Amino acid sequence: MDTTERQEKFTWKKGVVQLLMTVVAMIFIFPVLIILNYSFKTKKELYLSNPLSFPTSFQIGNYQKAFKKLDMLRTYPNTILYTFLSVVVLALLCGVTAWAIARCHHKIFKFLYIYFIVGILLPYQALFLSIFIVGNKLGFVNTRHGIIFMYVATGISFGIFLMNSFMSTVPVELEEAAKIDGCSIFQIYFMVVMPLLKPALATLVIMQAFQIWNDFLMANLYLSDKGLKTLTVSIQSLFSAQSSDYTTAIAAIVLSVVPIAALFLSLQKYFIKGMTVGAVKG
Amino acid sequence: MEIAVIKGKKKDNNFIKTREVSIVKKGSAQKKEFYQYLTLVLPAFVIFTIGLIIPIFLAFRYSLTSWNGLTKEKVFVGLDNYIKMLSDPYVRSAWWFTIRFTFWNVLIQNFFALLFAVILDSGVRGKKIYRTILFIPCLISPLVTGFIWLRMYSNILPAILEFFGLSGSFIKLFGDQKTVLSGLLIANNWQWIGYWMLIYLAGLQSVPADLYEAAKIDGANWIQRFRNVTIPMLAPSFTICIVGITTGSLKVYDLMVSSTQGGPGRASTSIIYLIYDSAINGRQYGYGSALSISLIFALLIVAVIQVAVLKKREVQA
Repeated sequence: MDTTERQEKFTWKKGVVQLLMTVVAMIFIFPVLIILNYSFKTKKELYLSNPLSFPTSFQIGNYQKAFKKLDMLRTYPNTILYTFLSVVVLALLCGVTAWAIARCHHKIFKFLYIYFIVGILLPYQALFLSIFIVGNKLGFVNTRHGIIFMYVATGISFGIFLMNSFMSTVPVELEEAAKIDGCSIFQIYFMVVMPLLKPALATLVIMQAFQIWNDFLMANLYLSDKGLKTLTVSIQSLFSAQSSDYTTAIAAIVLSVVPIAALFLSLQKYFIKGMTVGAVKG
Repeated sequence: MEIAVIKGKKKDNNFIKTREVSIVKKGSAQKKEFYQYLTLVLPAFVIFTIGLIIPIFLAFRYSLTSWNGLTKEKVFVGLDNYIKMLSDPYVRSAWWFTIRFTFWNVLIQNFFALLFAVILDSGVRGKKIYRTILFIPCLISPLVTGFIWLRMYSNILPAILEFFGLSGSFIKLFGDQKTVLSGLLIANNWQWIGYWMLIYLAGLQSVPADLYEAAKIDGANWIQRFRNVTIPMLAPSFTICIVGITTGSLKVYDLMVSSTQGGPGRASTSIIYLIYDSAINGRQYGYGSALSISLIFALLIVAVIQVAVLKKREVQA
């Protein structure tokens, strides 16, 4: 009698929690669903029909318009190029730097670690003005390599922090064996250590890819040439508050989020690992 | 930061060991190796210094001038920009907005992120689905988030309320100076709660189960277990979340670009929004740089205080 009662109480509690969480999830997903729904609606439907109803027929007109207005044949490749090259350079630099800092026990390297880490507490947004001026002096404005340089520079801190926390997973014995075999430091890193760091590098690449793909401030400042613009910058031109035809903008949102959402869903494991570094180890 | 500290300790041990070895080894080989390691660090050092450290010093230099961003010469004005800043009502209102925005974010995001993490950790069904749903908003650019909520408040929600025969005007949060902060807080929390929730979730999952068992045997009830086992064990997660949310909120900018544009009036002009406005649109590079320097100071001071206080708690725990 006693045990069944307790069990019932237990499941009842669980049911409430389950229900609560479902409501929360519905609230969170609601804007996403309504955006998807609106992206297929025609202008007429927007004003005449019930806001919650599905569109009468799936119109892809909004998507066609958005594709043209965003100049996607140019902005898509641009965004992919900047994101891809920046994360590749970041992966190469941060991996090797964090490794050198972890392996060479000289005072200078301790100082360097702190030097790099300060950047985590100083978001580039607070410094965008003088970052822009430095870039301008170096001729980086309106160039592809310029924006990539700046993405790398502002991503290094977090990258080194992340890679450093993975460094303990690399067995020193292997490196020492390679050293005895006569490998140079460069060979040891690129032939022994880097292959072992693959999961960590994947985490770094994904974390930074999100940042760069979604960046607005830097891309907006650096790239005013039409041919160089990114998706996030060109989407802003559709976001005027007065315009009544916002279904095109909504379709554009879907187009800009889908690639990055697909990347996340396929590589969720690495992403979560990267985010939670430090939360667990302390 | 905390990892840095612990790693530092570990390195100390290694340091002693390698020293012992190095006595046996030849000094010149050691030196050669040191320079090789230094070459590996050099590229990152150069890029980082040019891209982030030099700008700090430049910002400080410009903050002492009345430069407009165009002229060759930059007239030195001493601390004039900083003095002007203190009496500028725009600066005051921007700080006031940014501080309130940060305060409420830290409170709301931590509370809900921890609550949802505890719920998901308690063994509800479909944990992965909930986790993914709550995380989806984080994938969206803050610029886009701003626009989504602009449309939610001004078109979509009123239309839905009217459909059910209610008045939808109260939901137009971005239209009124008094409600614009709440509107932005809802948008920002919708976007980021899932992110911090994942961090708390990872922290919760690393708490050893036998700690709970021991507490249970000692007769601790649910609340006592939460207060005396979960919270202390989550200390590193608290540090990361509190510092992360604070820095994230102090630098808010993108969110307003596509939604409120700092308005109505100046009610949602954040400090970075003001820097952008006065430097890029108002051609006051010197003044904008002074604002940047004050923000950097605020960021560093807050981060150092938070890390110091939270670290102390971590050690006690």
